[in-house]
Amino acid sequence: MKTLQVNLIEKSKKNYRVSRPTQTGFSSPATHYNEPRVDLNDVLIENASATFYVRAVDDSFNAFDIYKNDVLIIDKSLTPKHNQLVIAIRDDAFKIIRIVAEATTELQIWGVITYIIKSVK
Amino acid sequence: MIALVDCNSFYASCEQVFRPDLQHKPVVVLSNNDGCIIAANKEAKTLTEIPMFQPVFKIKKILDLHNVVCFSSNYTLYSDMSRRVMDTLKTFSPLVEEYSIDESFVDLSFYHPEELVEIAHKIKDIIYKNTGIPVGVGIAKTKSLAKLANKFAKKIPENDNVFVIDSDEKRNYLLQSLKVKDIWGVGRKHAIRLNNKNITTALEFANLPVAWIRKEMTVIGERLWRELNNMSCLEMLSVPHAKKGIGTAKSFGKKLTDYHLIAESCSYYVAEVADLLRQQQSAASQIEVFLTTNYHSDTDKQYQNKIIIALDSPTNSTIVLTQKALMGLKKIFKSGYRYKKVGINLSQLVPENQIQMNLFTPYHKSESKELTQVMDAINSKYGKNKVKLATVGNRENEWALIKEHRSPRYTTQWHELLTIGKPSRSACSKDTISS
Repeated sequence: MKTLQVNLIEKSKKNYRVSRPTQTGFSSPATHYNEPRVDLNDVLIENASATFYVRAVDDSFNAFDIYKNDVLIIDKSLTPKHNQLVIAIRDDAFKIIRIVAEATTELQIWGVITYIIKSVK
Repeated sequence: MIALVDCNSFYASCEQVFRPDLQHKPVVVLSNNDGCIIAANKEAKTLTEIPMFQPVFKIKKILDLHNVVCFSSNYTLYSDMSRRVMDTLKTFSPLVEEYSIDESFVDLSFYHPEELVEIAHKIKDIIYKNTGIPVGVGIAKTKSLAKLANKFAKKIPENDNVFVIDSDEKRNYLLQSLKVKDIWGVGRKHAIRLNNKNITTALEFANLPVAWIRKEMTVIGERLWRELNNMSCLEMLSVPHAKKGIGTAKSFGKKLTDYHLIAESCSYYVAEVADLLRQQQSAASQIEVFLTTNYHSDTDKQYQNKIIIALDSPTNSTIVLTQKALMGLKKIFKSGYRYKKVGINLSQLVPENQIQMNLFTPYHKSESKELTQVMDAINSKYGKNKVKLATVGNRENEWALIKEHRSPRYTTQWHELLTIGKPSRSACSKDTISS
């Protein structure tokens, strides 16, 4: 009987094993060379349970090259380093701030921006 | 050693993660259909006597007066946030028992006892940092003690939401500070009975002779007593036990008089419970349908009825269960009433691989396992109810639950993401209850 795997952290189903050849004629010279395709979830997201997406609704953050409809990938688990962009809470609202090492004010950081997704279609 | 980690006012905390403007403000979450309050954050609790589980319309004035922000329940969001918390816990231990949506037991046996206080703080801090959800951590030798330690961690502000019972001194101190009724599993009746015997603190309970407990409170009480005395009786479970019955009962968004609409909602809920049934690989031998008018109403004529239908042979096919449920609904439905709620219960469950076939009932194609499997596969890939029986219909908006103040599903819907910019969040409903 199949047991329910309820207690595992979900991982992407990658397969590096050589799959059985499917060609009916000359067997594929690529047999031992196949790899799973690049998955952006693996590349852009280090810690899925701490990752959130936030969409910009106007151009108020153009100083950071963030424009309307851009989607930001936020990792809350990171501690920001010098020059990184963060989403912080100030005056009860989300703001985008570039971290400067010698900042004096106490910042309430919500998460670190890791990538900006822009549609250029 | 076992930790019990639970989230502080979980539903309200989930809402606040995405709403910086609600920091330190009173927040409550309403039940399905916005009927009553099911969760309130610390601020809402201290601010006023908000009676939990009270119909909202009765306390609307109090809520408005104190500017309490109300949310409809957004279970999609809570369940995703819960998974984030649980997955973070699994980075601390391979054995995590998800006890409910907002609490988990975590086996920490392989840590050195001296590390545990530090680990407890680390668990709390990392979960808060990664998800924004505040948690409390109680650690002890047994589950029941961990549960009490957790209660104590949150009760006394100096504990900073962490309490570790790593010595007999601490255990006695904790049991002395908590009442009998605080013990996990001691019901109101037993608490009264114990109080009548002048047993008021958990420590007095733990010091009773075990023979008395066994006689007065059966083996369940004895198990509790042993647990409080550092003898572990409750195993850690990594997989939930299969449920013995599965059911659902939901109010309609508005009172319904039309049989066809009720039948559509009934079909919808049958599909929901049948899906759970298949997920736990069981089949049901009987299905119960019930229907009721609004018993809160002083003006409506009242009627309620239920019917239990035995199935020819146990099944978990949505098609067969829907046919039977609608047959039953037809029998108990009487026109001329304003109905408020429909419910489905599946019972006498058996494992699906042990179904005793009935010699005298012909096998129907509709029971086809393959068809069900294909439907399940499509729906799990493309979304709930993408493929459904025609009996479910397309008029969900006419019977579905009211969720007037539901927040966006920030983490599961691309078009409902958290937003940043001038309108500081997505078009979300008004937060105060409109008259």
